[in-house]
Amino acid sequence: MMLLPCPWCGPRNATEFRYGGATGARPDPVSATPQQWREYLYTQTNPLGWSREGWYHRAGCRRYITVERHTGTNEVRSALDTATEDG
Amino acid sequence: MSDTHGTAPGPLARGALEPRVAATRSGWVVDARRSVADLVLSDESPLAKVLVKGPVTGAPGSVLGTSSGRAARTEVGGGTALVVGSGPGEWLVVGPVGTAAATVAAIERTVSGRPEFVSLIDLTHGRALMRLTGSRAPSVLAKVCAVDVEDAVVPNGGAFRSSVATVVTDVVRDDRDGTPSFLLHCERSTGQFLSEALLDAGEEYGIETTTLVGLVPEG
Amino acid sequence: MSLTTPDPTPTTTRARPGRLAPQPGEVIDRRRPVTFTWNGVTHRGFRGDTIASALAASGERVFSRSYKYHRPRGLLTADFLDPGCSVQVGDEPNVRGGHRLVEDGMVVSSQNTWPSLKFDVKAVNGLAGRFLAPGFYYKTFIKPQRLWPLYEKVLRRFVHAGEITADVSGGVPGETFDKRYAHPDVVVAGGGPAGMAAAVAAALAGSRVMLVEEEHELGGHLRWGDADDREALRDLRAQVAAEPGIEVLTNSVVSGRFDDNWLSIVQRGLPQVFERLIKARAATMIVAPGLIERPYVFEGNDLPGVMLSTAVRRLINLYAVRPGSRAVVLTANPEGDAAVEDLRRAGVEIAAVVDARAGDTVVRATGRSEVTGVELSTGARIACDLLVTAVGWTAPTSLLNMAGDRPVYRPQAARFLPDPQRMPENVLATGGIVGDGTVTELVAHATAIGREAARRAAARARAIGEAVPTRGGDAPALPNPDPTPVDVPVLAPADHPELFQGSTHGFVDFCEDVSSKDLVIAVKEGYDSIELVKRYTTVTMGPTQGKLETVNTVAIVAAATGRTMAETGTTTWRPMYAPVTLGALAGRIHEPVRYSPMQSWHERHGATPLVAGQWIRPEHYGDPAAEVRAVRTGVGIIDVTPIGKLDLRGPDVAQLLNLLYVNKWSKLGIGRVRYGVMCAEDGVVMDDGVTGRLGEDHYLMSTTSSGAATVWEWVEDWLQTAHPDWRVHVTPVTTAYASINVAGPRSRELLAGLTNVDLSADAFGYMQVRTGAVAGVDDCVLWRIGFTGELSYEIHVPASYGLHAWERLMAHGADLGVQPFGVEAQRILRLEKGHFIVGQDTDGLTRAYSGALDWAIKLDKDDFVGKPELVWQQEQGVTTQLVALQPDDRTTVPEEASQILAADGRIAGRITSSRMSPTLGRSICLGQLEPALAAPGTVVTVRLVDGRDIGATVIEGLAHVDPEGARQRV
Repeated sequence: MMLLPCPWCGPRNATEFRYGGATGARPDPVSATPQQWREYLYTQTNPLGWSREGWYHRAGCRRYITVERHTGTNEVRSALDTATEDG
Repeated sequence: MSDTHGTAPGPLARGALEPRVAATRSGWVVDARRSVADLVLSDESPLAKVLVKGPVTGAPGSVLGTSSGRAARTEVGGGTALVVGSGPGEWLVVGPVGTAAATVAAIERTVSGRPEFVSLIDLTHGRALMRLTGSRAPSVLAKVCAVDVEDAVVPNGGAFRSSVATVVTDVVRDDRDGTPSFLLHCERSTGQFLSEALLDAGEEYGIETTTLVGLVPEG
Repeated sequence: MSLTTPDPTPTTTRARPGRLAPQPGEVIDRRRPVTFTWNGVTHRGFRGDTIASALAASGERVFSRSYKYHRPRGLLTADFLDPGCSVQVGDEPNVRGGHRLVEDGMVVSSQNTWPSLKFDVKAVNGLAGRFLAPGFYYKTFIKPQRLWPLYEKVLRRFVHAGEITADVSGGVPGETFDKRYAHPDVVVAGGGPAGMAAAVAAALAGSRVMLVEEEHELGGHLRWGDADDREALRDLRAQVAAEPGIEVLTNSVVSGRFDDNWLSIVQRGLPQVFERLIKARAATMIVAPGLIERPYVFEGNDLPGVMLSTAVRRLINLYAVRPGSRAVVLTANPEGDAAVEDLRRAGVEIAAVVDARAGDTVVRATGRSEVTGVELSTGARIACDLLVTAVGWTAPTSLLNMAGDRPVYRPQAARFLPDPQRMPENVLATGGIVGDGTVTELVAHATAIGREAARRAAARARAIGEAVPTRGGDAPALPNPDPTPVDVPVLAPADHPELFQGSTHGFVDFCEDVSSKDLVIAVKEGYDSIELVKRYTTVTMGPTQGKLETVNTVAIVAAATGRTMAETGTTTWRPMYAPVTLGALAGRIHEPVRYSPMQSWHERHGATPLVAGQWIRPEHYGDPAAEVRAVRTGVGIIDVTPIGKLDLRGPDVAQLLNLLYVNKWSKLGIGRVRYGVMCAEDGVVMDDGVTGRLGEDHYLMSTTSSGAATVWEWVEDWLQTAHPDWRVHVTPVTTAYASINVAGPRSRELLAGLTNVDLSADAFGYMQVRTGAVAGVDDCVLWRIGFTGELSYEIHVPASYGLHAWERLMAHGADLGVQPFGVEAQRILRLEKGHFIVGQDTDGLTRAYSGALDWAIKLDKDDFVGKPELVWQQEQGVTTQLVALQPDDRTTVPEEASQILAADGRIAGRITSSRMSPTLGRSICLGQLEPALAAPGTVVTVRLVDGRDIGATVIEGLAHVDPEGARQRV
């Protein structure tokens, strides 16, 4: 099982986290077209390679963290607190 | 219809674990049985539990003197409390039975006037707290928790939150006279389940339940 | 006791198969005989015998019938890999007879041999027939599809699986399956000479080591070696025993390697624990499984009496068993030569030694139920009852492959070898899997690898120590690891002739009954990739998982396709490395259960328990209809502790509520409560509940019971990832309070005597919140809300006092006839009022306007979660909407999820909730319905589960009872 290097708790089993998917910016809710909004909701690039994604450490520090992970090897090259960018 | 509020019998508080042999102490129903086994589990839910939240760095941390991941005994409001750095910007203050209100007041006094946004909440009744003590306590935890609790990672005074028997639990290593001892703190409604999981995991090592230990001095 | 009775037949003086005089390295304890039964017949063995060795000592040669052809099978490897001796022990199926030790009283039987092992009616004439050609199942049992269940029933009879019982204890009372986690610095997979030396070196370098060996004792091939081997073994065992840093796990196996060196280790044979799954997060793993001897492919190679050289050496040296009377030995290596010596010493007549290095080989073995003769490449035919082959080795690289390594074929050595370039930092290999050498050379290599593993583990430990906050600033610094890698001596594989198949076809996969002919046919049919051949023929898919058969498969497919073995490559090795019981994987299962503080009261008062998510709740106390009537006419109390509760504090809470709910929160005054609906970003209804403002910057939010955890994470998500500048602290307090709803026209009367809060309608109106004491308990929160539609107070009592408060309410309300009510009564009460339940009356596609929530949605807010989708839904109109319906037949309650049909028979909606209303004396429903049919008074058709259609009428609004809401506002 993959380890995720939580910036607050240290390395922990991935099962302690909830996977939030690749991070994308929320479109402006006033001006977004249905096309733009639904791309935000449903479209994932799903790369084979480096992916920037959100994880929630639900069984640990309960912080949302932003992780750069290689989807082919599960190597993690950075993990930062999403709000504070602590790492 | 003769009762009015604040009636007799006075309100009786119950811990999160069903006692084997019930007795009343300081308004709490506790387990009366005292075990002399080498490995024991006790319901410490009656202890005062106050959660302090604030910025990761700033007033609460400097006042309480504990950082995330560590626990230490500190004088709070004239009494000794165990202050646990239970997460980033989060402290759990465990005090003797009946001291929650005084603890809240004392910490509020010390942080008032600071610019940071700090909040305090009395969770004495909202969380289960139990203590697992014995040389085989790490072996029991190893059956239900994926975090390494050996000295190299979690020495005495270490505190972490993780999944224990799939229940999200604060674990505080608070040894007693050199014997490994762990406080386990979780949502009250899962306390009974967690205690049963620990008793099941500890059966191999002869675990027994014992009466409330209380906030024992550092040892 | 000697079983080497002289052969009674006068024509020969050969010694028969059976027990030998004591051997210097034997593992049996002759002072401790054991008695067991085999297919109902009593046999004797000794402590230390495996089932197979004890039976072999009794002269048994046939242990099973093969998978497809039901051919007789005997011992091939005489160890845990042996494909021919899966047996049933008591009620435990698929026990590896070459590994499991016999115990007194053990009941052992062969599997799936009907009517008997010696005469199997299902046996067919094997390789000659095309009856079970490759792809047989795919080709034969495709059509007609309606016969699939029958095919399955018949085919199952032919499969040699054992019988299981539902007893999860492993068949022995008091025994359990267990699990634990471990965090060793170094795990050594394999306890032969290299594994032992590596473990010792790593431990001496300061590592905590787990040494895992599948056999019952450490030693590997030294155990059946010569006197020098035994001396080396004694020395290595002493060194292991002297290291407290080594935890030795015998009869255990590293069954898988997963991301970041997460290892599954199955430990067996513990007292009171049948099997234990260890989930080890190893800093480094040393793979040292040694080598597996490879069978040779030729006609008759599966006959009982055809064995590998290691099998006969194990039988003779470990178990003192003479494996036959007259042997032919095909040898291509020193180990085969050693087997000849062992056989001679055991009194087995050597009929012929066929030296493959000189170009000689075996053409076929003959015999019906066991081998009786051998035909050689020289043309000679030799009578024998034992044919021993020693034609080469397979490096079991599975664990390395699971770590991302790709084995490389080395023709000079005739085996695949690990590719050191592709090994991850945290995995190393030593011993026979790497190369060949003397014991001294193996130990030297392993010692260096052990030290290197310890060095890397120390670096890892230091990195973890620096990454975790639990060590604290004043913890002693962890040692700085040596930056220089350990110099590892070369351990090169010895040259070995390439010997895979002779000139005839024979079995490649003994578990799955796949022959070399099957492989060639598969290639001819177009399955020319090794992965396709595997799936088509099922080669390497049996219990040995390729350890005996992969290399032969590759060689035969390579020859059939005209490619080299390197070009052909191997199939992918996946976990599990060894057979693992489902019990070991299931182990100790944790399914958290939540209890309210009043649980003991509910149990004492006959509540029927209802499992609701993790919660155990009272469904009712005997008569839910009576409970409903009590609430409508008097007063009832219900335990609603599972309702989610979040304590929200801070100056920006109102902003947060405005963002997360579809309705407006900026003007909620202190002491007020408001109902709110939350949508996800797709506009779908996610949760609902009431939130009360307790103080200037202090709110208490309630959520649905099932949504409590989700909503908390949702709130944290928006705060942490979108608005980290907002000052809001969120604390879950769901179980910090025991929540009790006091409902009914007399609820005010009941509560008035127990609280210091002024309950008068003027002082504490509908949708307001107060704090105060209840039953002498301070800091209670009281909400005046009405899910049931009656005057009601939801009181939240600090949880430790929940039972006290509940008991006081029951005692105090006795003369009012207070009735405890359960979840079922509450569901009826809310349905009578037309209050929807998120997830029941809505689903994963129900956007808010379809939930009849037009009144709550405030599109004039700048933003809220899901707003764009609701703007578009409002523009385009709903496709379904929530309606209340009443069946024309008052006594019929349509099942929930019954379909609603339009006049033309189309499905136009469905019933989402339905009950018999005790208040109205008729059936009532909520449903999702097309808007064209949703006008009040419309009669629709509801198709019942039994196929009958009934009429139902859409009513005005959603409430069946008290549509004006007068009862809750008194």
